[in-house]
Amino acid sequence: MKIKNIIVAGTLILTGLSCKKSFLEHTSTSNATLDVYYVNAEQVNGATGLLYNAVWGDWFDKAFSSVGDVLGGTVTGAAGNDQYNSFYNFNIQSTDGLINLTWNACYKAAGQSSVLIKSFEDKKASASNPAYLTLGIAEARFIRGFAYFYIGRTFGDAPIVSDPVALTEPGAYLVPRYLQKDVLRFAIEDLKFAEENLPSVAYQPGRVTKYAAKGMMAKIYLYLKDYDNAKLKAKEVIDYANGSGVIGLYDDYTKMFTSSSANNNKESLFSLQWLTSLGWNGGNRFQLYVGPQPLLAPAPTSGAGYSALVPSIDMLNPATGYAINDKRHGWSVMEQGFHKAEWVNASFPNGFRYDTTGNNTDNFHIRTGTRSSILKYVVGPNRANEPVNTSSHSQIGTYILRYADVLLIHAEAILGGTGSTSNAEAVAAFNAVHTRAGLDPVSVFSKDDLLHERKVEFAFEGDYWFDIQRQGFTKAKQMIEAQERGTYDFNKQLTSFKATLSSESQLYLPIPLSETVKDPLLLQPAIPYY
Amino acid sequence: MLGGITLHAQGTSKLISGSVQDEKGTPLQGASISVKNMRNATVTADVNGNFAIKVPVSQNTIQVTYIGMKPVDVSVEGKTNVSVILKGADSRLGEVVVVGYGTRRRAEVTSSISSISEKDIKNLPVAGVDQAIQGKVAGVTITNNTGQPGGGVSVRVRGITSATGNNEPLYVIDGVPMGGTKSSPNQNFLGGGNGQTVQSVMATLNPSDIASIDILKDASAQAIYGSQGANGVVLITTKKGKNGEGKISYDTYYGFQMIPKKLKVMNLQQFAKYQNSLLADINGVTGGRQDTIGEFRNPDLLGHGTDWQDEIYQTGQIQSHQLSFSGGQGKTTYYFSGGYFDQQGTLIETKFRRYTLRMNVDHQVKSWFKAGISGNLSRSDQKIGLSDGFDAVTSTILYNSPAAPVRNVYGEYIGTTVVGGTQFGNISNPVALAKFRDVRAVSTKVFGALYGEIDIIKGLTFRNQLNYDFNLGSNKAFQPEVKNGDITQNNIINIAQLREERSNSIYYGLQSYLNYSKSWGKHAVYATAGHEVQYSSYDYINASRVGQQLNLPSLATGIGGNNSGETIGAGQGEWSMESYFSRLNYTYNNRYSISGSIRRDGSSTFGPEKRWGSFPAVSASWTVTNEPFAEGLKNLSYLKLRLGAGAVGNQETGGNNQYKSNIAAPITGPLGPGSLPYNVANAKFSWESIKTYNAGIDATVLNKRVEISIDVYKKVTTNMLLPVQLPAFSGLGTSYNDIRTPIANGGQMTNKGIDIAITTYNVQNKNLNWKTSIVFSHYKNKLDFLNSPDAALAGDFDEYGDKPLVTLSQQGLPLGSFYGFVTDGLFRDMKDLNNGIDWGLPVQADKQWLGDVRFKDLNGDGKIDSKDVTVIGNPNPTFTYGMTNTFSFKGLDLSVFVYGSYGAQIFNYARRQTEGLRNQFNNQLETVLDRYTATNPNGSLPRYNQWHNNNFRISDRFIESGSFLRIQNISLGYNLPKKMIAKAKMANFKIYASAQNLYTFTKYSGYDPELGAYNSRVTLMNIDNGHYPNPRSFTFGANIEF
Repeated sequence: MKIKNIIVAGTLILTGLSCKKSFLEHTSTSNATLDVYYVNAEQVNGATGLLYNAVWGDWFDKAFSSVGDVLGGTVTGAAGNDQYNSFYNFNIQSTDGLINLTWNACYKAAGQSSVLIKSFEDKKASASNPAYLTLGIAEARFIRGFAYFYIGRTFGDAPIVSDPVALTEPGAYLVPRYLQKDVLRFAIEDLKFAEENLPSVAYQPGRVTKYAAKGMMAKIYLYLKDYDNAKLKAKEVIDYANGSGVIGLYDDYTKMFTSSSANNNKESLFSLQWLTSLGWNGGNRFQLYVGPQPLLAPAPTSGAGYSALVPSIDMLNPATGYAINDKRHGWSVMEQGFHKAEWVNASFPNGFRYDTTGNNTDNFHIRTGTRSSILKYVVGPNRANEPVNTSSHSQIGTYILRYADVLLIHAEAILGGTGSTSNAEAVAAFNAVHTRAGLDPVSVFSKDDLLHERKVEFAFEGDYWFDIQRQGFTKAKQMIEAQERGTYDFNKQLTSFKATLSSESQLYLPIPLSETVKDPLLLQPAIPYY
Repeated sequence: MLGGITLHAQGTSKLISGSVQDEKGTPLQGASISVKNMRNATVTADVNGNFAIKVPVSQNTIQVTYIGMKPVDVSVEGKTNVSVILKGADSRLGEVVVVGYGTRRRAEVTSSISSISEKDIKNLPVAGVDQAIQGKVAGVTITNNTGQPGGGVSVRVRGITSATGNNEPLYVIDGVPMGGTKSSPNQNFLGGGNGQTVQSVMATLNPSDIASIDILKDASAQAIYGSQGANGVVLITTKKGKNGEGKISYDTYYGFQMIPKKLKVMNLQQFAKYQNSLLADINGVTGGRQDTIGEFRNPDLLGHGTDWQDEIYQTGQIQSHQLSFSGGQGKTTYYFSGGYFDQQGTLIETKFRRYTLRMNVDHQVKSWFKAGISGNLSRSDQKIGLSDGFDAVTSTILYNSPAAPVRNVYGEYIGTTVVGGTQFGNISNPVALAKFRDVRAVSTKVFGALYGEIDIIKGLTFRNQLNYDFNLGSNKAFQPEVKNGDITQNNIINIAQLREERSNSIYYGLQSYLNYSKSWGKHAVYATAGHEVQYSSYDYINASRVGQQLNLPSLATGIGGNNSGETIGAGQGEWSMESYFSRLNYTYNNRYSISGSIRRDGSSTFGPEKRWGSFPAVSASWTVTNEPFAEGLKNLSYLKLRLGAGAVGNQETGGNNQYKSNIAAPITGPLGPGSLPYNVANAKFSWESIKTYNAGIDATVLNKRVEISIDVYKKVTTNMLLPVQLPAFSGLGTSYNDIRTPIANGGQMTNKGIDIAITTYNVQNKNLNWKTSIVFSHYKNKLDFLNSPDAALAGDFDEYGDKPLVTLSQQGLPLGSFYGFVTDGLFRDMKDLNNGIDWGLPVQADKQWLGDVRFKDLNGDGKIDSKDVTVIGNPNPTFTYGMTNTFSFKGLDLSVFVYGSYGAQIFNYARRQTEGLRNQFNNQLETVLDRYTATNPNGSLPRYNQWHNNNFRISDRFIESGSFLRIQNISLGYNLPKKMIAKAKMANFKIYASAQNLYTFTKYSGYDPELGAYNSRVTLMNIDNGHYPNPRSFTFGANIEF
């Protein structure tokens, strides 16, 4: 009996005393917490470095091309790829998937930038020399500025979120749409901060600079038809380029678009950065979608090449696309007879040859709807100096702003609203781009010349649609309806297709249904933000 | 102790000792024994049903009463020892019900608890007990999420409790809590969709080791489990040895499984005709000149082509063997068992195999001290097929062209084939994909308990129990490189890849509690008070490599180094909880009972200021038939009314340390390594609260032939623990690459319902018995509001980043409501197209045109746009029901179990592909032959349309009724005559044959209307996107006992 009581009493006392308070406290050993992080330049730069990469993945996946090039008519699609259908036909509805991807990715990039901006600002209070935090904020604001520029161009009126954390309060997320001009102004405000606080020369190759910010501002001003400011900002970049030599046109256009060794060259002001080892979540997927199967499916890549997007007949026709002597044709497109000696794979031990003579596409032949493939951003099979992973992802950066763009912005800003110009500065800027392609210099150019120059210079770079769109509905309609968007059939007979535009609203993507059901204010007319 | 009483009693009175048992021989602790006409001299029976009472010499009759039982008068004339058997007014009353940290008799239960015995779940060809109790318990809705062997099961105790978290109940096996989920690797590591990855936790326990199951359904019963009881508590008692001669049992069955139906997709002849007719459709719109494929010009000359369903589905086999030894002698009882279960799925290569060992030993060490140990060892090996995704093999087979062969003439797999210059078939041959992909979840689990129990004084015991649960998880996903056998050498499976995952988890808990019971006069008291600590930790590592040499499935043979696709991941975490709990029951005069309990929990899930929560409950019951006035009620043998209310909590937040701002694991980006914030912190979130109000009656009527239990309840979840729901434009989210929104308390959800269980004894005589059990469960779920009144929870399928919104859960609606456009037939007349409404697209052949789906202008603004969407369906059933009829005639027994679900709707997502009419070269259901065309203007389906996506956007076009009635099980058994088997020293020998899922009455056009939830997400219920159908099984088995 006695033993029993001792046991009971002992156990009761033990359990009564129970555990220490710390029993319920576990510090994470897997993760750092914000209290102890972002306290040095390395941690801050590491975080902002991620904003150039996978956060854009969903947009870059298919939306980037669908908006910029499918709508723009520079590419057309292989049969059977129904994801792009509504973009080819200008039948886009709020339930289509690709608008979701555009919306989600751009806002995600903006939102993650905003969280970093807020975190860095909070950290400033406790940092003795917060220069690295200011730099981090400037870099994040550049990214956010670009995101809103893209949102403003693509969706027109749209919500603006400067602090996502504030939206987590009950009801606070019912944000209205703001006027497109305010969305773009918000972008400019961000870029202004970036312009003031970023260095002239990137502290690491690939990072954005003061001049990237100026160039991006010039592009927004031009979009807004604020020619004076566009001219001013473009000129600042051009003067700096001419003076320092840090920025300029790159002399090897082919290499610029077919080799990751040219990444972050002097022509690149802002590009998305990719890493093949990150695979789907950070490799460049473009080659997988546009590359030809016989190039990428055989060893050593053993990946896929879907040829889902191919150059449009409009681009291949000298009357509407690449002029006869325009070297950019060969620099941007693969056609029958294309050969590249260093692209060696199991099917082509002596270098890849673009061969459309087979009845179909297999590991030796390629047969697309326009008997051509996009060459830009196709880097070929995996090899020693060119990493390509087994999903065909490459490491070549995606140019978002090239110096060539700044030159043409400058030329166009000087042209302004007039029909044509022979202004020396404008012509010089125009010819810099024009003559690089092996074409004769011009002494005068018109608005149409300039738009055509942009079309052939930036084809497949996700941009030409905005050149059409910013002309306004009437002109955009003419430009679209003039394009041949059809394909060749089995016997190379053309099945013609011409898209039609019927309403001004088709210039913008609708806001995804999945967003408007959550925030019905998005269906109300836009209001001013400023 | 009895000795003392005896001494005093001599002379004026005699001492009568005895025991009280029910009809099954179970001792009736707490039975009242009094001398007839001398009410004040009452004693109560002890835990073994024994009693001793002084009876005046002048008296010769004692009266024995027990709550819910018929009182009896016993003559003690000339006796010193009597054995009393009480008969119940209701067959259920004698049942021992496990209530958590103790047991009660059914008669004493004041809350809503359902019980299932071994024989209800015996011999069913299922992997886990969760599947076995489907349709057997009122208020518990069980759906198989997949036909995958060992696959996930949705168990909902009284509706949906949590909007975003886990809704599965807490399983407590002999006092050891088993929570959590079991996941297999995502197939998207190998490319494509990830498929169903949530697997059944209960599949690791051998159902044959289970003796009984008690399900705590209302909060007054659950509250003793506090914050872990929110989704209901399933208490499982495993088999134990009984005193007496040892028993050897062998239970086995063997059977076949097949898919219950095939979908009617086109065969090659039909497909060729369809191809030819499509060209007319397309050329009619584009003005093009696409010409018919030569080979298809005369379809009648063609064969049937590839039947992809036949290629991918097989007749699977299922077998189970269990050998057990049990018994007891003197102070020791024991139970040992070993089991083997092997199921091959109906989808080729899918399987589940389980080995189990179990032991239970109890020993009376001292007169005052009892101890015991239990251990359960199991290893399960599950091979998972890719299902539930538009690119899953279960989906691909439906749209892959019948023109594409599985293999070439050399027997090698090939992907696409060229017919007349056009490529047909899926590059990834689905048969090859199913054959060669090896995705496995291997789990090794050991759990059990060690306990010691001390009798301190009479009626007061002190129990300490140490619970343990160790898990080793070993998952892998492998695919070899497979190339086309033909000259093209096209890749069928892109490249060899292997991912291996290893995880460890350990759980232990220490429970210490006092149980006290005492009766005096008309009073009876039970009390429980205790303390519990629980701790668990886990860690995991994973690694993947690609390009395995010679397709060898080993990490060692893959390529390493930069840009090789090599990855390593790891993580670890800890969780702990401390609790105090107590419960008090009081019964007066066998008529009125009241019970109250409270539990206080502290959990590491919450921040220091919000750590502790209290969960109280009260309940009461009134046994009307024990009142004197009830004596005369002839047809009412038993009636008890119950009322209860209580609160339980939930701490599910989907991760540790959510109250802090965490930094995500570093990523090596192109510009170097870096880390983004993982989440936005909220230090203030605290316990989610679930309050339940319950009222019930238990009645036995019509001369004990009908037993009825009815419970009505209201369950209100408040302060739900939710990741704050924001639109995507916030830039925050809940996906893997999002900065996650903070967890916050908010919102409210209500479930109201009724549970009915009826058992009737239709025929009861010596040779023939016929019993019918009916259960009926109804719940109505309503999301009152989320973290803010306007917030909504989106249910979307991720198809390569495109996330079409399928369900929307918002204020005032059931969770998981389907949301989309409302269709209004097809445009068949130009007048309809040109009636002034803006259809969103211009009226034009390649835009909005004849044969397209017409949507309703819900807001009447003359325009079809994003405003014209609404709720189009509810995946929650109005009610589910089950009816079991058991007949026994001499040695034969027959049971027929039908199960049904009524009122739920299904979103047949797969039809967006199989009747999508969007891609020229894909196969479709036969129904597309009757689509709208210029020559078939009355066609039932929309026209072929490759120009826009409106016809297959999320709308009620794909909503179907999910009601069904299923002959779930028919089982015929024969007990061999005792005389015959006695020669072989057998005590029992039963052979049986059974059919499971024999036939389903339904209007649903897909494989199977029982769909469950996609990966247990309540926002993705009843969505059929390439579902792995539940199999139909035929089994034969035997139960042998020596």
